[in-house]
Amino acid sequence: MCEVTLPMTLSFAHRHVLEDHIVGFETRPNPHHLAVVRRPTILCVLAHAGFEGGVKAALHALEGVCVRICGPAEWLVVSHSVGPEALLRLVREIEGVSAFDHSDGRVLMRIAGPNVRSILAKCLAVDLHRDSFAPGASANILIAHVAGNLARIGEDAFEIIVPRSYAGTVFEEVKEMGREFALTAGFSED
Amino acid sequence: MASLITCPHCGVRPKEEFSIRGDAVPVRPAPNAGAEAWYAYVYVRDNPKGRIQEYWHHAAGCRRWLVVERDNVTHEVFSVRDAADVARSGSGEAA
Ligand SMILES: [Zn+2]
Repeated sequence: MCEVTLPMTLSFAHRHVLEDHIVGFETRPNPHHLAVVRRPTILCVLAHAGFEGGVKAALHALEGVCVRICGPAEWLVVSHSVGPEALLRLVREIEGVSAFDHSDGRVLMRIAGPNVRSILAKCLAVDLHRDSFAPGASANILIAHVAGNLARIGEDAFEIIVPRSYAGTVFEEVKEMGREFALTAGFSED
Repeated sequence: MASLITCPHCGVRPKEEFSIRGDAVPVRPAPNAGAEAWYAYVYVRDNPKGRIQEYWHHAAGCRRWLVVERDNVTHEVFSVRDAADVARSGSGEAA
């Protein structure tokens, strides 16, 4: 007969098995990180026929904005410093332009890390080698089965803009594709 | 291969970004054309084998209408042009 006595002084913190699944595995950014920008300004801008060149030049001359290419005579103008109303006023001063505020209708995410191209290669079918999509390039691209806009903002950094109703799907999908590299996600500072 | 389409605006893209919207050869008749001309335009289609012209809409890209000339047997793509350019040049109307 032998009695086993457990050391009752030892206390375990109860942690539910799904704790990490609900709260998130990691809160601090890893080298591979997906940052969601809280309130960017995003305008949809179109040029009237015959004004394409002038509108393009005028958009690029604006300060504090990034210009994303959507297609011929169509752009997204993104800003982290100028508010939607102020930027809309500025853009509408350009001759031959139609501009609309899409800030509430689109979601902007930034993904960066040394293997970011490997992550993106799993959810979009466009060659992202710098020879065909160099830093500074942008285009409308199917991202995780959603029509979005992709911009390369650095050698290993991209920005994704998707319609807000699809943002949850794209976010989950990109996170899943980044698990291989322990991709973390969170709101960005700006 | 037809699974990769080179959009004149966006570059090489997977076919999933496009929706194929049918034969680009039929020319819309004048509003006062007879019922027969309209019937033919709306309903009558050949089922060609080989080199064909189709409307492709780059739905997940530049959202432009394109005219893709390709071979539906070998999947070889011969040309991809913006439909507006084709209409302006009038070369899309060779039936
Ligand atoms: Zn395109």
